[in-house]
Amino acid sequence: MLYDLRRADVRVKWLVTGLLATLGLSYVFGAAMVALYAGFTPQSVAATYAGAEMSMPMPPETTMVVQRPMSMADFAGPEVHTVDTKLLIQDTHVHVPMYGLIAAALGVVVVGLSLTRRWALGLIALLFAAPWLDFAGMWLTKLVSPRFAILTIAAGWAMGVAYLIVAALAIHQMWLSPERG
Amino acid sequence: MNFLIRAAAIAALLHITPIVVLVKRPDAVQALLPGADAYVAREVHLSGTDAHRLHEAVDWSPEDGVLVFYGGTVGSTSVGALEFVRVDTPHGPIEVAVGFTPQGAVRGVVVTKATVEMKPWVLEAVAAGLTDHYRGLRPGGTPGGATGIAGRAGNLAVYVAGEVDKGVSRALAAYGAFYNHVRT
Repeated sequence: MLYDLRRADVRVKWLVTGLLATLGLSYVFGAAMVALYAGFTPQSVAATYAGAEMSMPMPPETTMVVQRPMSMADFAGPEVHTVDTKLLIQDTHVHVPMYGLIAAALGVVVVGLSLTRRWALGLIALLFAAPWLDFAGMWLTKLVSPRFAILTIAAGWAMGVAYLIVAALAIHQMWLSPERG
Repeated sequence: MNFLIRAAAIAALLHITPIVVLVKRPDAVQALLPGADAYVAREVHLSGTDAHRLHEAVDWSPEDGVLVFYGGTVGSTSVGALEFVRVDTPHGPIEVAVGFTPQGAVRGVVVTKATVEMKPWVLEAVAAGLTDHYRGLRPGGTPGGATGIAGRAGNLAVYVAGEVDKGVSRALAAYGAFYNHVRT
């Protein structure tokens, strides 16, 4: 055991509590941002990532024009936030390192928890696998089938659940457990 | 630990902030197609050859290979057309609306969307008179918004003006080559 959060110095416990509170706040606003830009249903996530690219993958042989009347209300209609391939490359590039650091920070907390080796390894695997699967779902939705939106949603929830498990165990073992030092 | 802190700082700096609407699309349409009471969306689905030609000209391919122009009329008289063009920057995307007169000159330019980070730069550039520099441009012309406000605005406003220049240049190329030259 590298260290044991139950018996750690109060300064370490305070640091871990601060980290968990800050990550919790960012997760709450992360969920709000998902609600604003992509939604929580497979249909809305598919519309965000698959976009029109799924419906017209090949350009026509000759340039053609389709004309349709518009009303001012059509301009005001709700716009679906879409993420095209270029933007998804950029998103993956900037988000995956951050997710990795968050998983690493939570993983360090897991190492200090009083858990069996198997549970600790499983929890650490979940912390890293959830963001991997989140982005895998986005790419598969774009490149293979809109049905993979469900993978993005499931992985997003898995990230939240993994955080809650770590936070609940850590707070309990550090501040509430009768075995704490 | 030092590596982790540095990596976290770099990742935070690179994080792209969410997109905000600076001017709603209906407001941009009313400003760029004044007086119009009927509108039509003209979607030009580019062939591979035409898409390549456009890419060679302005280093840009429209989303899904489709250019969308919006025409406005009063009765049977055209009041012009407009395009919404997206420009991807390292700080996230911006959207620029470019309006044309029936004679094919730029009537006006409105920056409709930007990221939270770029919003103050856009507002500073617009306050420095950025959009005045595009009026009257015709296809083949070179947008000079960034040069026009240099010395009257900060570096970041001039930087974002360069990105708006790119959007206007794409709109000019697309309008010049495809608005009236493809039969429906």
